[in-house]
Amino acid sequence: MRLAYVRGHVTLSPAVPELLGLTLVVLEPVTMSNLVAKNGLGGGKTLVAVDALGAAKGQMVAFTEGAEAANPYWPNRVPVDAYCTLIVDSIKTGNAKFEEAEVAK
Amino acid sequence: MFLARIDGMVVPAAKHATLEGCRFLVAQRIEADGSLGAEPLVIIDWFGAAHGATVLVSSDGDIARERYGNTSPGRMVVAGIVDSVQIPVSRGSVG
Repeated sequence: MRLAYVRGHVTLSPAVPELLGLTLVVLEPVTMSNLVAKNGLGGGKTLVAVDALGAAKGQMVAFTEGAEAANPYWPNRVPVDAYCTLIVDSIKTGNAKFEEAEVAK
Repeated sequence: MFLARIDGMVVPAAKHATLEGCRFLVAQRIEADGSLGAEPLVIIDWFGAAHGATVLVSSDGDIARERYGNTSPGRMVVAGIVDSVQIPVSRGSVG
């Protein structure tokens, strides 16, 4: 999975029946330097993904790419190759923070 | 499969129902010359990999699918924690 900021939503009219009712979000993947800098910038190449979690504009998500992105719709066959798997609350980087998160668990 | 260095941990606000209770780590791919990938990756970890550890990541979803069910979007998982890596320096590229 890669990390990305939600930049907006896409609606289709018309669309293939498999995509009807799905929420599509515009994602901007986040690079490591922007993630560490916490500057709210992405830096990656924009893509569109399916979102079933209800991510809002500006939130960071982790998205699955490839054939696995269509797994949530199994056994239906859908033309989906990017799927928002989780919405990020926070990211603990650095050793101390990491252990802190571990203890909190 | 590829090698990656663990850089952090994701605290999820919401996640796909099949991945309840999973540990999600932020990792960077390691290239042969030791440089790190530009984009961070979020991977599922069952081994309790520590910060700074080098891990082997499998990007095949079958293992996650087997564990979390057919409807799981899980893909990248830690397949093992790396003990050591040997990359002999080739004679052609010295200097």
